Amino acid sequence: MLRRVPFPVLLAMLVATPVLFGVAYSALAVLGIAGAGASAVADSDRLFSVLTDRTTWRATGWSLYVAFSSTAIAATAAGAVALLFPTHKRSDRFARSLATLPLPVPHLVAAATALFVLSQSGLLARVLHALGLIDAPANMPALVYDAGGIALILALAWKELPFLAVVAIALRAGIARDLEDAARTLGASPRTVARTVTWPLLWRGLFPAVIATFVFAFGSFESAVLLAPIDPAALPVLTMERFADPLLARRGEAYGLALIALGVAAVAVAAHEVTRARWGSLVR
Amino acid sequence: MMPPALVPQSRVLTSPWRAMAIAALAISTVLPFVILLLQSFGESWRWPDVLPSGLTGSAWRAVAGGSLGRAAVNSAALGVATAVAAVCVALPVGRSLAQLQGAWRHVAAALVFLPVAAPPIALGAGLQIVTLWLGIASTSVGVWFSHTVPAIGYVSLLFLGVFTSRGTEAEEAARTLGASTWHTWTMVVIPSLRAPITEALAIAFLISWTQVALTLVVGGGALRTLPLEVLTLVRAGQDRPAAVGALLLIVPAIAALAALRLGARRTDALPT
Repeated sequence: MLRRVPFPVLLAMLVATPVLFGVAYSALAVLGIAGAGASAVADSDRLFSVLTDRTTWRATGWSLYVAFSSTAIAATAAGAVALLFPTHKRSDRFARSLATLPLPVPHLVAAATALFVLSQSGLLARVLHALGLIDAPANMPALVYDAGGIALILALAWKELPFLAVVAIALRAGIARDLEDAARTLGASPRTVARTVTWPLLWRGLFPAVIATFVFAFGSFESAVLLAPIDPAALPVLTMERFADPLLARRGEAYGLALIALGVAAVAVAAHEVTRARWGSLVR
Repeated sequence: MMPPALVPQSRVLTSPWRAMAIAALAISTVLPFVILLLQSFGESWRWPDVLPSGLTGSAWRAVAGGSLGRAAVNSAALGVATAVAAVCVALPVGRSLAQLQGAWRHVAAALVFLPVAAPPIALGAGLQIVTLWLGIASTSVGVWFSHTVPAIGYVSLLFLGVFTSRGTEAEEAARTLGASTWHTWTMVVIPSLRAPITEALAIAFLISWTQVALTLVVGGGALRTLPLEVLTLVRAGQDRPAAVGALLLIVPAIAALAALRLGARRTDALPT
């Protein structure tokens, strides 16, 4: 069967081997055949324990919520930057540069800065105190370690915006101008052209990058470990806690959580390729 | 009235709103860097002071002989080794993938994208076992190996794009003229790819430079890298050295972006 697979695909498989191996090993470990405390006979106790534990699904749901919210904010802002500042005028170039400048800032630095600004004794709280709006750190609404995940969402959105803005700006420059010109010639206002022609084309081109940033946000460990609450825990943090658990059975559960995370990533990769194949030709 | 076709495209919003949008972008971009700088130089910054009470360079002076300095050296060495290894593997992989057409191309791209998209903790689960089998778990070599895996994925995708857009005409011409495979690569392919190779080295370096989860899972604390040091300092509430470490993490990243932009400006690949 492998003879039918082109050689470059085999090379790609080699690159993906660590992930495929991780999936296989995690599956064996969660069935108790491999890993700490393994036995010769498979049992479904660990798998059952992971799948029926409310903490697992709260963590998965919460991480999906955070990734979705941050990506939605970043994608909207990136689209807005591309639509509002498309020309070669100095102000537009300046705005585009500002939007893309934090591109190389690591997630860890974005999260640490969010902690310095948004914690209950952070810069925002101090400014509100100086304005007479709060008396003490306790009066500051909890944005860090809160169930709403506000600081984490904002930090991830801030980190994702530059990448999506780079893609959106490049796409904006490549969108067929004749469609926009035709709409304007037919009497459409700039806003109507932006809403009905430019934005739909931009969004379709941007979607694969949006999926990529969604999955990065979903798996970001360092941001979550600094900004997420203990309950509900973020999935990467919960997985790491299980890995380090002194109880061997609980360590096995970490592989079940890793499988859930890999499942989300696999769905995202499939969606990424499908959208690239379907919509990639709409923008040049 | 101005003819519709001549209405400037950028006027989706009026000037005051555009000015406010630019101001919001400026604040959100610049403020975090200013805060990190103030935090790193702030002598004492007690509640409810909006600014530090004094400035000191003590945290910066402590970098050279301290844990941050050692961690930065470790991270730099790891980043360089990761970048070189990733580019050496990804260059032929990307070129090979670019020859595919149709559904196989999407299957191959998805496979290469997997190590990039896999959550680092989940990826680390598999890599931890691989490194245990190889006898390199909890060692510097093991950490380097774990960083190389996602870096190869990223850089393969980059070279897939590069080879898709440039074609193989020059290589075919060299082969037609009698060049061997070695000569074709060393005298045609690599010299013509100087800019993408530089970009790939920078990207792979940054993937390693900023890596936290894989270093923790596979390294188990055996190798103290700069991100691990910063994470520890932030969690311990050591704000001043943490800010210094955070700024140290940004410096090569900004330098890499500047290099990328310089290269991209020649090809109009990125906005200026």
